[in-house]
Amino acid sequence: MNENRRQILEMLAAGKITADEAERLLSALEPDSTVSARTYAHTSTGSSGNGSQDSNVKAHAKYLRVLVEADPSMTGMKGPTTVNVRVPMKLLRAGVRLASLIPPQAHEQLDEALSRHGVPLTLSQIKPENLEELIDHLEDLTVDVDGKDGNNTKVRVFCE
Amino acid sequence: MTPNIAVVRIETPHWRSIPLWIPLFLLWIPVILLSPILLLVIVGLSIAGRVDPLRALSVIWGIVCSLPGTNVRVTSEGTKVVVRIL
Repeated sequence: MNENRRQILEMLAAGKITADEAERLLSALEPDSTVSARTYAHTSTGSSGNGSQDSNVKAHAKYLRVLVEADPSMTGMKGPTTVNVRVPMKLLRAGVRLASLIPPQAHEQLDEALSRHGVPLTLSQIKPENLEELIDHLEDLTVDVDGKDGNNTKVRVFCE
Repeated sequence: MTPNIAVVRIETPHWRSIPLWIPLFLLWIPVILLSPILLLVIVGLSIAGRVDPLRALSVIWGIVCSLPGTNVRVTSEGTKVVVRIL
């Protein structure tokens, strides 16, 4: 019996978690599961054990995936063109830090240009913490775009 | 971890290439040789842009180290191109 399994059973025996929670934790230990049992155990400890902490359990997405299936009418190709891009979330986090390299003297010009295009954003007010928060929320994002009027182009953006 | 290998595979309806393993770690040799010049360029640009050179270097390094795991696959008219960075 491995350490995690033993820990879960001990928590069950001590009454810290219910049988249902223990079952979920044990299934989370399966190799293909993305839920961290340790995280679950941490969030469960000290709670009333009524299963309401499910919302606290969140597997962190590792990749942002962009799937595009372009209609031949858009690309001029004979068949559909598909693009499948998987970008590590780490790369997105590193990429947003590029914003911190924008010279301060360029902030005003960028703010003006953005507001002219309907994006009322003040770059100088964006802090690294905000960017981290932005990436965290991106994990919940799913975008599905379907073409219309005979255009079968499909775009899907999601985290996995 | 910095990217070590890029795998490129091209498939057409009539021909299928074996996966090409490109050893990116070999790029370290020219990068190390050119590092004094690269550092001077980065520091010069950072000073010109009034940006902390250390921060600029850390951002660039962060991006390079985050590249492994990137996967791009494009398919069109039976031709498929796959690029993976490991």
